[in-house]
Parts: sequence; C-alpha cells; structure tokens
Amino acid sequence: MTTTRRSLLAATAMVPFAAQHARAQPRRILIGYQLPLTGEFSQYGERFRNSALMALEAFNRAGRLPVPVEIVFEDTRSDPREAVAVARKFVDNREIVAVLGDFSSSASIQAGRVYAEVGMPQLSQTASHPDFVKISPWQFRNITTQAYEGPRVAEWMRENGVRRVAVVAIQNDWGQSVVSNFAEAFRAGGGEVVATQFFNPGNREFRAILTEIARARPDAIYIGMFYEDGAAFLQQRRQLNIRIPVYATSSLYEPKLVELAGAGAEGIFLSTTFMSTSPEPHVRAFVEEYRRRFGSEPNMFSAQAFDAVNILLEAIVRAWPEVTRARVREELAKTRDFPGVTGVTTFDPETREPAKTLARMRIENGQFVLLR
Amino acid sequence: MFDRFDIFFVQQLINGFSVGLVYALVAIGFTLIFGVLNVVNFAHGEIYMIGAYAGLLAIIFLAPPWVALLLLVLAAGIAAGIALERAAFKPFRRFRDEASLKSKAMRESTLLSSLAISIVVRETVEKIFGADMQAIPRAYADAMQEPISLGELAIASGQIAILAAAVVMFASLQWILKRTDIGLCIRAVAANPLGAQYVGVHVDRTVIATFAIGSGMGAVAGLLIGLYQGTIFPAMGFAPGVKAFVAMVMGGLNSIPGAVICAIVLGLAEAVATEFFGQGWADLVAYVFLVLTLVFFPTGLFGAGRERV
Repeated sequence: MTTTRRSLLAATAMVPFAAQHARAQPRRILIGYQLPLTGEFSQYGERFRNSALMALEAFNRAGRLPVPVEIVFEDTRSDPREAVAVARKFVDNREIVAVLGDFSSSASIQAGRVYAEVGMPQLSQTASHPDFVKISPWQFRNITTQAYEGPRVAEWMRENGVRRVAVVAIQNDWGQSVVSNFAEAFRAGGGEVVATQFFNPGNREFRAILTEIARARPDAIYIGMFYEDGAAFLQQRRQLNIRIPVYATSSLYEPKLVELAGAGAEGIFLSTTFMSTSPEPHVRAFVEEYRRRFGSEPNMFSAQAFDAVNILLEAIVRAWPEVTRARVREELAKTRDFPGVTGVTTFDPETREPAKTLARMRIENGQFVLLR
Repeated sequence: MFDRFDIFFVQQLINGFSVGLVYALVAIGFTLIFGVLNVVNFAHGEIYMIGAYAGLLAIIFLAPPWVALLLLVLAAGIAAGIALERAAFKPFRRFRDEASLKSKAMRESTLLSSLAISIVVRETVEKIFGADMQAIPRAYADAMQEPISLGELAIASGQIAILAAAVVMFASLQWILKRTDIGLCIRAVAANPLGAQYVGVHVDRTVIATFAIGSGMGAVAGLLIGLYQGTIFPAMGFAPGVKAFVAMVMGGLNSIPGAVICAIVLGLAEAVATEFFGQGWADLVAYVFLVLTLVFFPTGLFGAGRERV
C-alpha cells in the first residue's frame, strides 16, 4: 500500500493559526480515495487519480473555501479484503470527512459495510451493482445503472417507431439486469419483446442466435454486451445480411468497437453519459486539459472520477463551515442538477441513485456521432 | 415443430456446418498427434493461437500476398510444434528401456508438461500483446468477412475459405499418411511404437514430423478462423480446443475421418439446438454427446477398426 499526500496549495502555510476564529475551524479538509493503483485494474486507478488531481487543483486554485482540501490516495488493488483494510484506516483518521471509491462493486460494497457502521459518506464513481447503495444511507454513486438506462433506450426505440424487439445479452448478473430493466419498460410502453437470447461469456459465435432472431422478424435488436462480443456480433450480423437496426448498451461506447467490427458497426444506436468528442465547452475543456497533462485520451472512467470528485467538493462547500461526516452526507444527498462532464447529475435523496442526461449516439462512417 | 423447417432452418444448418468445419480444422491436427503419441496435446490450442498471432504480425509488418501469408504461418506453426515437442514431450522419451516405453505414467506426464507449456505461452502472449482482441487490418479481415447472398440465404467468404482449407488439409494429410515414407513411419509408430522401433523406424524423427505436420495445420487453422471470426486474442484456442477434443473422443480417439465427421455433426447439433433452447445452453450439446459416446460407444463412433491414424 502506498500513501500519497498532495498538498496542492501553499495556502496551508498561510493559515497556521486558524484557531483564533470564534469557532475552531480545521486547517485543512481531508478526503480519502480508495482505488486500484497496482494489480490488474491499475489502469483504471491511474485514470481516477489523474482526474481527481485535476479536479482538486482547479478547486483549490479557485479559492472557494478559506482552507485547502486534500485527498489521501490509498491503493486497494480493488481487492475486497484490501478495501476493508483501507476503509478501517480511513474511518480511524478523524480528519477524513468523506471517501471516494472503490472501483469494482464488490470492493466498494465490502468497504461500504465499514463506512455504514461508522458513518462515513462514500461516493463511488463506478460501483454499479444494485446492492451498493442499499447498504446504508451513507453510500452514493454517480454512475447510472441498467435500471436507469434500460427504460430510456426503450423510450428512444418507441420514438423511432420500434414495436417489436429482440434482446441479446451476456449471461451474467449484469446481462440479466440489461434484459429485465429494458423488457419491462418496453412492454409497459406497449411494445413486444419477440425474442430473448443469452450467450455464455467467451462465446464469439453468434450466427445461430442471429438466425433465430431474424426468424422472429423484429423491428430492432437490443444488445447488452461488451465491445469485444459486440464487435463479433455486429460483424456476423453483416455477414448474414441481417439489416435489422441495432441498439446497444452504453458499454459498447469504445472506439475499439469500430476498429474491430469495421463496416459491421455502421448505423448502430447507443446512448452514453460521456462523449470525449462532445462540443460542450466544459467537456472540451476537461478533455483538452486531461490530454495535455497526462498525454492520453480521457475515457468514461476518467470522466466518472472527475465528476465524483467535483460532486463531493460541492457538497463540502455547501456544508462549510461545519464540515463533518454527517453534514457532508446530508449535502451529498441534496446534489441537484450538477453540471458534470458526464451530464447533468441529480441524486435521489432517498435511494441515492443518480439520474443523468443520456446522450444519444450513432456510428456513422466509423465515427460516434452525437444525435440531437 | 414442422413449421420450423423454413428458410431459417436451412440457414441454421449452414451456420452449424461452418461451425463444425472450424472444429474439424482444429481436430485434424489434434487427432493426428493423439494417434501417434496416444496422449492429448494440451498445447494444441496455443499452437492455433500462435498461428493467428504470427499471421497478424506478418499482415501488419509485411502485408504479404495470401499464399505467402499462409506459407509463413505454416512455417511458424511447424517451428512452434517442433519447439513444443522438444520442450514438453522429448524429455519424457529419454528412457529407452521397454518398461519405460510401455509405462502409462511416462506417457501421461506429458499431459501436464504440455498443459504447463500452454499456460506459459498464453500468459507470455498476454503480457506482450494484452488480453484483449487485436484489431485486424481491414483489407485482410474484409476478405474473410464479406457477405455472400444466395437468395434468402447468406454465407461469408471466410466460410468458403475454411471449407476449402478443411478439404485441402484433410486430403493432403491422407496423401502424406498413405503415399509417403514419413506417412508410413507415422502409421507404424501409431499402430505399435515398440514394434516400429524394432523394425528400424526412427521413432524420434517420426514424432517430430508428426508434431510439425499437426502444428503447421493447427497454426493455419488458427489464422484462418481468427481472421474469419475477427477474434484474435490469447485465449482464443481454448473454446475450439475443447470442441475438437469432444469430436476426437466421439470419433474414436485416433480416427481422423471420424473426428472430422463428428466435428461437423457437433457443429450442426449446436446450431439446431439454438432452435429449441437458448444459445447459452448450446455448449451443453457437446458435453451430452461426450457422455453419451463414452457410455454407449466406449471406443467412439469410428474407433472400432484396427488401423490407427
């Protein structure tokens, strides 16, 4: 485990005796960030830390609070056991008022149990398992789940006149949630799900499924899978000359999809919360600065972390001057219309599930194009 | 259920046939090596993967014409096969006494050594190239993925290429086995390794030749299937390897024609199974076939004859 402390303002030195104030105010505010900085998920942790440093630096530079905010990064390898150890360390540090992370749902959930017991607000940028926010009122996330995405894709299809749809998804917890959330909303809107097919993870042969679907003559196909499976699926659809339009989950938003599937990916509809080519000025500013500082293209994970840090900082500003764990939790729950790079985010004060604007995209000439 | 015999059913049969050919391509080399050594070569799937990666590198850096590409991959497969034999199999043929030659334990220890090599090779490739699917230059991928419409039916150009490759491989293997000296040696060692040695067959050389032939074919199969499916990644050899193994067992362990026929039957059965239950269950078909074969035809469907390979 490595501990990195970044004091990003010389301001710390300038307010050494803040205790003269009527109320004893802290000299700094500490946030914990647990994330994988080593191991197989380190690429994600690296992105989170990059984004967090960018957000924090801008925040401190703007001088919105009289004291600086600092982030303590702790490596968990996104391993649930390490996550618990780090969580204990964070709750024992009385200075820490809130925690960001972890990366995977399972690590976030295990750490979340510790935070629930002690009463520490936790905001994960990526934990999308339904159980995560159900642990206690202390858990938040700013990533949308299929319970949010499915109904919106169903609505989109209805607008495009789709009445009959076939659904194909990967056979795991996530794939099941893709199908159930979408199908329920689509049927509620008067549509008909004419075929549902699950495939085993690792399977790259979709011709049998595609033929079976084509027989049902749907108006559209909805696919819930990751980009590698998606590429094989789309390619084989083209080979079988099946011209039924395809809608996909946001998990297929990955430039490599076009590289792998080639002409097969043309015309696919998908929704996303973050788009690095978005024309919106604050997204462009984020993308450009990220590129300049870290020499790589920010993706959905970088953007999720950037927004998570900013949402938490906003909550701290609102809680000022009484920045306690309980107050930060209260203020996090009041997050409304936060204008992030992954869309406008609102937390439901009861379920603590985020609602966001989903952008609609289509692949045209090998490019992800924003639909208006 | 007769309303199911429509154009889509025919399409499903075509899909199944092409899946079966994919299994058959892998099963040919697999069965050849089993026939000679009487032991499963667990690294065959990795030879298949190496073929795909060797081809991909050649495409990226040299962009050779197709014939040169196939020859290059064939050479890479032969080299990999000889290296594999040297590392995983040869050390266990060190002891020349009769007890060791007949010992099952000696032979079966190569199960583990080939498995070990396969893990090392796969992990190494993963370290170098990453675990994700490689992008294939479009010119080559498109050549194998172009749709061809036959009325309401659709096939891909790659399916024709794979059919052609299967026919060529099967025929050339039969020619090698039946018409050449080395083929005669291979058949002799397969039938009776000790006897072959007594009459002066150079067993070591024959085994190496078997690996060279089987692995060369495995590598070419890997490239063709990788391009056709557009999926080249380190673990790509596993799934077809399992199905080829089932086809080999069904075919009677050491009958190459038997393995090819069973591979095609398996592919057809999997595709038709999708008609009746979810594709997630189609993998079950292979294992049901395997169990049924072992229970009712312990020597396989085509394994009764005395002639091996």
